[in-house]
Amino acid sequence: MNAAALSVAPEKPTRSPTWESLRRFVADRFSLLAAIVVALFILMAIFAPWLAPHDPDENDLLRRLQPAAWMEGGEWSYLLGCDGLGRDILSRIIYGARVSIAIGVVVVLIATAVGTALGLAAGYMRGWVDILVSRVIDILLGFPYLIFAIALMAMMGPGLENIILALVYKEWVVPARVVRGEVLAAREMEYVEAARAVGAPRLHIMVREILPNILSPVIVVSTIRMAHVIILEASLSFLGLGVQPPTASWGSMVADGRAFILDAWWASTFPGIAILLLVLSINVASQGLRDAFDPKFSD
Amino acid sequence: MLRKALSITVLALAAALPVSGTATELRVGFTTDALTLDPGNHRNRDTETIIRNLYDGLLTRNSKMNIVPELAESWKQVDPVTYDFTLRSGVTFHDGSLMTADDVVFTFQRLTLEGALDGKTSPRKDLVGPVKSITKVDDRTVRFTLKEPWPILPAMLPVQEVVSKAFTEKAGPQGLATQANGTGPFKLVEWRKGDTVIMERHDSYYGGATDIPPVGKACVERVIFRVIPENASRVAALLAGEVDIINELPPYDMKKVEANGKTRVMKVNGTRTFFVALNTSKKPFDDLRVRKAANMAVDRALIIDRVLLGTAVPLNGVMSPDAFGFNSDLPAYQFDVAAAKKLLAEAGYPDGVDVTLDAEGPFKDVVGAIAGMLSKAGIRAKVNISETSTLQAKWAPAGEKTGDMMFTSWGNGSLDPSDIFVPTLRTGGRGNRAFYSNKEVDALLDSADVELDQTKRANLYKKAQTIVNGEAPWIFMWLPQDIYGVSKRVSGWEPSADSRINLHDVCVK
Amino acid sequence: MNVLALVGRTAQLLPVLLGVSVIVFVMMALTPGDPVEVMLSGQQVPPEQVQAMRHDMGLDRPPLERFAVFLGNALTGDFGLSFFHRRPVTDVIAERLPATIELTLAALLIALAVSIPLGVLAAVHKNRFIDRLAAIGSLFGISLPGFWFGIIMIMIFAVHMQVLPVSGRMDYACEVAPITRLMTIDSLLRGRPDCFSNALSHIILPALTLALPMAAVLTRVQRAAMLEVLRSDYIVFAHAKGISRRRVLWRHALKNALVPTVTVAAMETGSLLGGNMVVETVFGWPGLGRLVVESIFVRNYPLIQAAVLFYAVTYVLLNFVADLLYTMLNPRVRL
Repeated sequence: MNAAALSVAPEKPTRSPTWESLRRFVADRFSLLAAIVVALFILMAIFAPWLAPHDPDENDLLRRLQPAAWMEGGEWSYLLGCDGLGRDILSRIIYGARVSIAIGVVVVLIATAVGTALGLAAGYMRGWVDILVSRVIDILLGFPYLIFAIALMAMMGPGLENIILALVYKEWVVPARVVRGEVLAAREMEYVEAARAVGAPRLHIMVREILPNILSPVIVVSTIRMAHVIILEASLSFLGLGVQPPTASWGSMVADGRAFILDAWWASTFPGIAILLLVLSINVASQGLRDAFDPKFSD
Repeated sequence: MLRKALSITVLALAAALPVSGTATELRVGFTTDALTLDPGNHRNRDTETIIRNLYDGLLTRNSKMNIVPELAESWKQVDPVTYDFTLRSGVTFHDGSLMTADDVVFTFQRLTLEGALDGKTSPRKDLVGPVKSITKVDDRTVRFTLKEPWPILPAMLPVQEVVSKAFTEKAGPQGLATQANGTGPFKLVEWRKGDTVIMERHDSYYGGATDIPPVGKACVERVIFRVIPENASRVAALLAGEVDIINELPPYDMKKVEANGKTRVMKVNGTRTFFVALNTSKKPFDDLRVRKAANMAVDRALIIDRVLLGTAVPLNGVMSPDAFGFNSDLPAYQFDVAAAKKLLAEAGYPDGVDVTLDAEGPFKDVVGAIAGMLSKAGIRAKVNISETSTLQAKWAPAGEKTGDMMFTSWGNGSLDPSDIFVPTLRTGGRGNRAFYSNKEVDALLDSADVELDQTKRANLYKKAQTIVNGEAPWIFMWLPQDIYGVSKRVSGWEPSADSRINLHDVCVK
Repeated sequence: MNVLALVGRTAQLLPVLLGVSVIVFVMMALTPGDPVEVMLSGQQVPPEQVQAMRHDMGLDRPPLERFAVFLGNALTGDFGLSFFHRRPVTDVIAERLPATIELTLAALLIALAVSIPLGVLAAVHKNRFIDRLAAIGSLFGISLPGFWFGIIMIMIFAVHMQVLPVSGRMDYACEVAPITRLMTIDSLLRGRPDCFSNALSHIILPALTLALPMAAVLTRVQRAAMLEVLRSDYIVFAHAKGISRRRVLWRHALKNALVPTVTVAAMETGSLLGGNMVVETVFGWPGLGRLVVESIFVRNYPLIQAAVLFYAVTYVLLNFVADLLYTMLNPRVRL
């Protein structure tokens, strides 16, 4: 995880215009395809009520562990089969996208906002602010991520907002470190010194001069982290600390289905594939994004 | 890459070859590891199940849950507060030393005296009851003197095991936690924490309880408890022949175990009563009609049939049909959605009512089904899954009583009502999740607690059960069976209601 | 220099450990639930005994006092008794640690064994088939949810093919007297190849599951480092001198390109140690991660405190090792 952050942190601000980067991104067919898949997942999450063939929470004990459609005992109206309570797995996967994507997006947005602000302050102002922020970062890094999140979930109780909080509490460290490093390099740059020389206020320098120049690594890191956060949420749900049932979450679907892997392999296989597909697409797309924004790394 | 693939294949082949085992041995796939091997320093049923194969107690239970003497030869109640236990002679510990009355006195003082465990008190203290003193009368007699009558003393003694005084003193405060010197049928060979407990036969075993044949040393030479927490893994290990007995076989896998040809399913009524506690201290469940409606809204038979696959006994009251003083005449609340809706309307909820149904993660399935059924009758239940500790705090009898309903259960290992009725339904009981309070019930329970005439005592409990059934502080649910998967090479073992796995009498082919 | 650096790091360690302890303590204090209640699971117990149990666990004292006592004892290496095991927390952790260490090392080994050659090949054959394959492979590696992949592996190799065991660490029939307490190594040291292969067959799936994301990251790092080295002057010079391409590649270039990989590997090992409770849960591996998660659920405060401190110490130390390796292997950098 550190390595991902490490390897994307460029040494100097990239000056390539955004449209040029986007053009490069679109030209990369793989990344484009991945981005389209991600977009499809997002659309699926938004339009879940129209797309899902069944109510995802409707129990039907008579359909308990009904196999996927193409198997013996399957039915085409229940394409991917049913889970331990007879709920349609496809519908639950479609609705589960909402949880994964919402958590991935919201956690990364908040964490990036908080982390960028703190990293900026620490890197530019140095002094006690830097010491304080860096110490807190050091301390948080000492905690294993999942254990920290589990302990927080135990403290706050289950629920969507609490998962988001539990992940944000540690996640902000990643952008904060990246931004701090970038700012440390940037504050010695000519354009910053020039701004300082003309007596521009500190806040102005930080927000108007430095921030735009370090934005691209931040965006790249954020997209990569989104993939991580989605896996983390799934892991939390898998350990039974996710969203409240009956709300579908891919991680808890895998966990529930695990009890039946000896016979009903479909119950945990399909939601797992959904996680893999979404996370993989995000990773491919974000790699493309990185290459596009930062051609230095494209080899 | 190719070389790697190749070496993995070779590895796999090597793994398929069994590691040479010689002795006749029995392997148990067990859900959890022991927390400690010190019989006096834990409060955990699974730990006791493992320990009970290394240590014997004064008394024990047969598979029908009757109390029979084990290390004691006999016992008699001298008066309501005095019990004399006559010890067997010639019983030796694993280290060869003779068990004496001093060891028994030491064992129970260790359990009951404040600070007896290196300055700390045994968490099992109360399980021995209101003991005033434990004394040696002569070399073969130990006397228990109680502060007040406690008729269930003999019923509770099978959960305590006798340790060696000399060994314990020599081993130091933490010594018994990882070493064992019991009088049980097996000796400890090695405890690989979190993974395996390996035991071998104690060849100079005195033979065990005379009322539970066969008497003599254990049939198998080695016993292995393998910790396999994952249900699917445990079942797979049984099917693959890696283990011979597994506990907590999930109902869904029963068919597979039966179909395998080499394994079978064994079931026994458990001792855990499942119910949905209804918060009687606030709306809407302060109204008897709503509580009755809730009982009528749930189709227990369907859940038992489909989710539990028939492995539970429906209950109309508190206690297991196997328990002392069980009242078999309690009427059942018939599943009837229309009637439930009508009652709900009468109680002032014609449009239904929104409530929260609390439960723990492992019961997600069942609770989902219950919530669906309640909702169809107008009790729109939102499921809230929390951890055990969080729920305990939310439903504490001294707490704020904010919950509406909770799916929960109560274990009753002694199968004596005092152990389940009093805590769950007496006013202020520690497990009284319904916050139920009925003076008549309290009075009945209090008099039963000190009643020595067992017939009268049973009648008091039966009466209390009738009242509770009528007042419906719970949605009465069921008593699940404990399900075991057992290899057909195993003989001489029957599951017992207290979920123990005593392996003394078990043989393997 | 290294001594000074070590002293500096140790000085840094203290505030981190203090901060970690404070956070854990505050979190525990704010978490609802009571270990005594969990232990009694609501059984009817006389209030005096409940009081005695709370006293034994130190729960009858005010939180601040409890924290002070904890800090004082921790300085002397005494982390108290685990509430549920009722044995010293350090003992309980020490029992589980070897399994976690063994799994982590095995995963590290697999990750290095896969990523170094793959990264080198990808760099040498840049933009060719093997490079593409490596890129796709590492993308899969970081995208696979470990818990799911583990289940699928069990399903295929243990349940359907029945060539690998379902769970556990080593067959109980293998009685290998402990030396390092790492089962694979001990069985080799004791001359029990049968037990070695048995232990290996148990560890392979969990280690593989744990290794994948790390292998993915390391492959990328190795590839990038190798590309950079290949572009550098001395390699170009070596080629010019007529040293064989193979020799240049594997002797000269790799030596230098290993630096970032090894450094990142050391850093990642920290998160590997703390991040394997999911894999331990899926494979029934008797390690520390599972124990800590269980301890959080039952509010076993002393164990959680000690374990988290342990994680923090290893994390900081491993980062220090990473820095050290970086300086040692790469003379251009000074700490």
